[in-house]
Amino acid sequence: MDEKVVIEVRAPTVEEAIECGLEELDADRDEVEVEVLQEGSRGVLGLGAKEACVRLTLVTEVSEENEAGEDEYSQERLERVAKATLEELLERMRVKAQVVVRSDVEMETSSEEDTPPVVLDVLGDDLGVLIGRRGETLAALQYITRLIVSREMQRWVNLVVDVERYKVRRERILRQLAERMAEQVALTHQPMALEPMPPHERRIVHIALRDHPIVTTQSVGRGDSRKVTIIPRR
Amino acid sequence: MKELIEYIAKSLVDDPSQVQVTEIEGSNSIIYELRVAPEDMGRVIGKGGRVANAMRTLLRVTAAKQGKRATLEIV
Repeated sequence: MDEKVVIEVRAPTVEEAIECGLEELDADRDEVEVEVLQEGSRGVLGLGAKEACVRLTLVTEVSEENEAGEDEYSQERLERVAKATLEELLERMRVKAQVVVRSDVEMETSSEEDTPPVVLDVLGDDLGVLIGRRGETLAALQYITRLIVSREMQRWVNLVVDVERYKVRRERILRQLAERMAEQVALTHQPMALEPMPPHERRIVHIALRDHPIVTTQSVGRGDSRKVTIIPRR
Repeated sequence: MKELIEYIAKSLVDDPSQVQVTEIEGSNSIIYELRVAPEDMGRVIGKGGRVANAMRTLLRVTAAKQGKRATLEIV
């Protein structure tokens, strides 16, 4: 039986919607099927502008093992496997730390997916090294953990690795920054660019301002210099 | 550090018995050579080298903690 991860994304244009969706799924373009539900249009003089809407289906190898009806058991097993995997990795990185499965999901952006993700918090002293510049090390750790756990569970697993609540704190800061910048843009009607950020951080900004009445967001630039710009809606 | 690469590679490939990591110690850095079955190359490299790069990041951090420099080559 196929278990599929499907999301729908809205953005001013189809391309942007796909970009946002890929960031949300943490997937590459060739790992998803794209279905355009609605083409976007700028409208005439701001009238009749329509947002584009796309549906992205994550294409993964899925086994027959995972039948519906075992949800609770499977969530429990997932948490166990995820915790054990991260502990194995940390041990081999010679990092002394404790891994806890966080049950209270504080990260607003992650609660929007259908399945609640597993959040693993790494607790200990002096763990800055696990975060790295712009969270690069943490991203690598999360990626490898997710790959190993997904393989073990034989399905795509959405999990988040956090260190000393770094991501929770970072999300709060980014949302405040987004609000402040949006206010500026709303006042001046001049677009503003934020500092370059990694994908999951750009996503936080996009989501924070998704329903803003006056401004909208867009990611521009490539690779490490990709950043969010906040622009007035037309 | 060797165990780190071994653990990750063995967890990702279809044929863990073919995973081999050799350590080449240089004057100021260590090179780790990772060998896997030909069919498993894609799994340890990943799309656009994403898996390999993530392994390199973790290896680099682990080495730095011990005041060393380490590089990973998939051969």
